[in-house]
Amino acid sequence: MNIYLYDSFVNQKKHNNTLAQVETRLTDLGLNGKIVRLNLMTSIYETLENEIKNGAKTITAVGNNQILNHVINALARLSAVNTVNNKDILLGFIPIGKADNTIAPYLGIGQAQQACDVLSARRVEKLDLGQANSHYFLTQALITSQGTTVKIDKNYSIEIMGQGEIGVANLLMSSNSPSNIKSSPQDGLLELFIKTNGTRKFLKHSSHLSNHSVFSFTDLTIINNKHQLLIDYTVQIPAPVNIMIAKEKINLIVGKERGF
Amino acid sequence: MFKKDDNEVEIKQAETIIGPSIKVKGNFHGQGNIIIEGIVEGGVKTSNYLLIKDKAKITANIEAKDAKIGGEITGNVKIKGYLEITATAAIRGDIEASLLSVAKGAKINGRFTMMDHNKVNEK
Repeated sequence: MNIYLYDSFVNQKKHNNTLAQVETRLTDLGLNGKIVRLNLMTSIYETLENEIKNGAKTITAVGNNQILNHVINALARLSAVNTVNNKDILLGFIPIGKADNTIAPYLGIGQAQQACDVLSARRVEKLDLGQANSHYFLTQALITSQGTTVKIDKNYSIEIMGQGEIGVANLLMSSNSPSNIKSSPQDGLLELFIKTNGTRKFLKHSSHLSNHSVFSFTDLTIINNKHQLLIDYTVQIPAPVNIMIAKEKINLIVGKERGF
Repeated sequence: MFKKDDNEVEIKQAETIIGPSIKVKGNFHGQGNIIIEGIVEGGVKTSNYLLIKDKAKITANIEAKDAKIGGEITGNVKIKGYLEITATAAIRGDIEASLLSVAKGAKINGRFTMMDHNKVNEK
């Protein structure tokens, strides 16, 4: 059974046409299912728990980065507490609108109707998740280097001399990443990238590589008294934050053009 | 292993890069190639290639399979295979390697011990 979780913003008038096209395309592909329209009062965790108990096999988030992160968190927590058998649950994603939809392209998922075709193709990849305290993330976590100390695997600590940004990547969202070092969401490792001033915007362009640092790790702690960590471009978490590779994984339906 | 000049070719192959604005304290152990351009205090060990660039400052004992050193090191250096010391290097400590090249201008205060290259290869 297919479940479609609609983020509250997709009910705005400007998305009516897109949604209608998506629903038509899903019906044509034989992928129609139950639609759950989320609002501020809806608990995604409880909704998914009930739907999975009722036999849902594919959960599709419809919206932007935020709904994707929330659904991933709910599925990972359900998996962690083992209240439902969701090991075989597939996660799909249909991005609606271009605002705050930066993750979809790296999963090879196009907008609206193209995303329906990706769902239909059922190209499933089992992906690692990062865990920052109790929050899960699929892509990356970012924090300024100002006042930040990083301790890796409890063996050594890193001090950053100079201003810049620190990123922890599970799925690195840039084909032109620092140093072009591969960061795979399937290698059981996270990568720490540190960029200090003198280079261009972090994780966007990196023609000048000399101020980049890269470390692979499974467990680190970020300490910062003033600034918060931003995960998946949606959720802010106050430091200190312990970041590790999570035990839980997700089965994500991805497109052919994915960036990993 | 890095074969060409020190630039992007090497950086692309490195698992760990300690950049010029970074200070690492503690025992840093890696499996892959490591490039150090910043400051390290503690220990550095890798079962692969280690490149220490000109401006790096290291207060640590170092162990690696092969290495190229161009920066300042205070500590002992133990390289199983080939060690290349460039003209900008300044090493205060004992050095152990099975193959060695030292460029004119390198400053070294310590004892050299050459390991048997064939025995190392047999292992």
